[in-house]
Amino acid sequence: MSAAPILKIAGLQAKVADEVELGILKGVDLEIKPGEIHAIMGPNGSGKSTLAKVLAGHPGYEPTDGSVTFAGEDLLEMEPDERSLAGIFLAFQYPVDIPGVSIANFLRTAVQARQPEGEDLDIFEFSDHLTERMEMLEMDVSFAERHVNDGFSGGEKKRNEILQMAMLKPRLAVMDETDSGLDIDALQIVAKGVNKLTEEDPEMSILLITHYQRLLNFIKPDFVHVMVNGRIARSGGPEVAIALEEEGYKTYEGQEAPSTNGSAPAA
Amino acid sequence: MAQATLAPEGVTQALSAEAVERISADEPTWLQERRRHAWSVYETTPMPTTKLEEWRYTDLKKKLDLAPLRLSEGTAAPDDPAQWPERLREAMDEDREASGHIVVIDGHVVHADISADLAKQGVVLGSLQDAVEQHAALVEEHLATEAVPAEEGKFAALNAALWTDGVLLYVPKGVQLEAPVRITRWLTESGAAYLSRVLIVAEQHSQVSYVDEVLSDDFESQTFTSTAVEVIAKDGAQVQYVAVQRLGKGAFYQSVQRTLAGRDATLDTLNVALGASVTRVDLNARLLGPGANSDMLGLYFGDGSQHFDFNTSQDHIKPNTASDLLYKGALDGSSRAVFRGIIRVYPGAQKTDAYQTNRNLLLSPHARADSLPNLEIEADDVKCSHGATVGELDSEAKFYLMSRGLNRTQAERLVVMGFLGEVLAKLPLGGVVEKVSRVIEQKLAQHEG
Repeated sequence: MSAAPILKIAGLQAKVADEVELGILKGVDLEIKPGEIHAIMGPNGSGKSTLAKVLAGHPGYEPTDGSVTFAGEDLLEMEPDERSLAGIFLAFQYPVDIPGVSIANFLRTAVQARQPEGEDLDIFEFSDHLTERMEMLEMDVSFAERHVNDGFSGGEKKRNEILQMAMLKPRLAVMDETDSGLDIDALQIVAKGVNKLTEEDPEMSILLITHYQRLLNFIKPDFVHVMVNGRIARSGGPEVAIALEEEGYKTYEGQEAPSTNGSAPAA
Repeated sequence: MAQATLAPEGVTQALSAEAVERISADEPTWLQERRRHAWSVYETTPMPTTKLEEWRYTDLKKKLDLAPLRLSEGTAAPDDPAQWPERLREAMDEDREASGHIVVIDGHVVHADISADLAKQGVVLGSLQDAVEQHAALVEEHLATEAVPAEEGKFAALNAALWTDGVLLYVPKGVQLEAPVRITRWLTESGAAYLSRVLIVAEQHSQVSYVDEVLSDDFESQTFTSTAVEVIAKDGAQVQYVAVQRLGKGAFYQSVQRTLAGRDATLDTLNVALGASVTRVDLNARLLGPGANSDMLGLYFGDGSQHFDFNTSQDHIKPNTASDLLYKGALDGSSRAVFRGIIRVYPGAQKTDAYQTNRNLLLSPHARADSLPNLEIEADDVKCSHGATVGELDSEAKFYLMSRGLNRTQAERLVVMGFLGEVLAKLPLGGVVEKVSRVIEQKLAQHEG
């Protein structure tokens, strides 16, 4: 396992863009190699969703120190769209509704953006591919004509995120609390979709961000990190999640992060 | 009669009693008299000022100078597409199927066609000036009488006195036109006043869609276009009236529109305003027969210093009538929009359903929208609602789209088109949606450029 990491986060600090102080991320270190599935767990307010947003380039957060390298490039220098084209995908915790814009139209524009300069997307090919992906995710084809997240149930929104992921084929998918607000059936459908995608592309890496261990029963992580107070407090294998389920986050309360870098231990 | 010491407001060298006489010299007596009457109304009606609620946000003293205007005297262009301006032909090429066409260049109808089959069934589509001779009884009955008489206001009076040409569309009883009729207008004369009329009469249970597009390049000096639109849908008729305004800078576009819907008639309108420096539309939908129904749609996209003023009324005169108004606009640069709408439910017009919505999307911190919805209800068993919003481009939506690889321009375009698309989706006439989408995309591209 000597492959170069696809994502390397070193000493990352970040704060809310408009605020003067109060950093949320206080020195995050993390390495993800191609094909690895990592989970970051943590209590509310620990900074795990902030990390997801900083990786995607949300304008509401400002990195203040440290570095993030994605596929050898300085990620923090890139615009959100450039990050997406480079292969980062953020499955939103709260997907945004875009009234009047159909999923098909939206995805067509997003897939077109991935075409080489001056090359037009083959509409029929696109449409066949979209249908095929929707079938894979057990979605009705009529879904494509609905307006993006407009009036969607929680489950539909999350499934729509997975559909986008399936269409855009990222190298790293950051899934921000994809399990929140889902009943067990919806959760299983979403997890099944993600597992199919990782089977299809064994090089795709996943960073799961979750409060609960529940999701990890369906998407098996190679590494589990516990985030507390803006730092990774513990890293290990799946057993870390199991321990957490039993002990809760209480163990970590008031605990300072270890001084070692929190990168994944060698498997 | 006492002699006025001051010239009546709005009377200029070109806009004068002499002009009325000159224009009507060869016209039948009834029309000459109608023009003279309109002129007297014009002379005695003061120019609207911002003291009037309906003109509060559009200061004509600053926005319109009638004095230097001359009446358009351009000679008629040939009825030969090869000699028409390229942009005019482009606009026509974008239109898909049509039942008939009219081409108006500098106020002259230079071309009119209607499918032979429809002509045989009695459908008339042609120059209003010609119709005065050929369909005298019809024109005399409806022109500037019940829908937009001179008494409607200063501009209605001016138009009724000095109109030079226009369009007549007549659809006999029971005749249904599957494809729309398309009117394409092109203006070239800078500094001219164009006064034109549209008269649409749809007899019982007939069906027709009418699409009127006006376009020009930018003008060096202010150019005034005035249109009086009269749409009459008799019992059970179904009529769609669409106006697409794509004039260049320097144009003052003014349109007074009245729609009269008879028993169980459906009379829908769509006003699209994309161009001109100033746009003022007065639209009055009158639901005259029980069961009449009007959807009133509007869409505008402003940039630079464009100014839009929409003044609408939904008059429910008889019971069981329905109207649904949706006006949406996006405003960039330092453009500005005013929407003022009123729902009037007359005494006895029970079971009225009336809705009115105006939504604005501001794309720039310097853009501004004012929305003034109003209700006047004199019946007690009605369903009425109105709503207005002014919002900014949602930055979360933009981030969401960018996180999927769309660049800033594409993301904004998608959000804006989605916002405005709701209006077009309600009246999906072939060609109109694509055309309007393309123009808006061009405007958005300039915004980012």
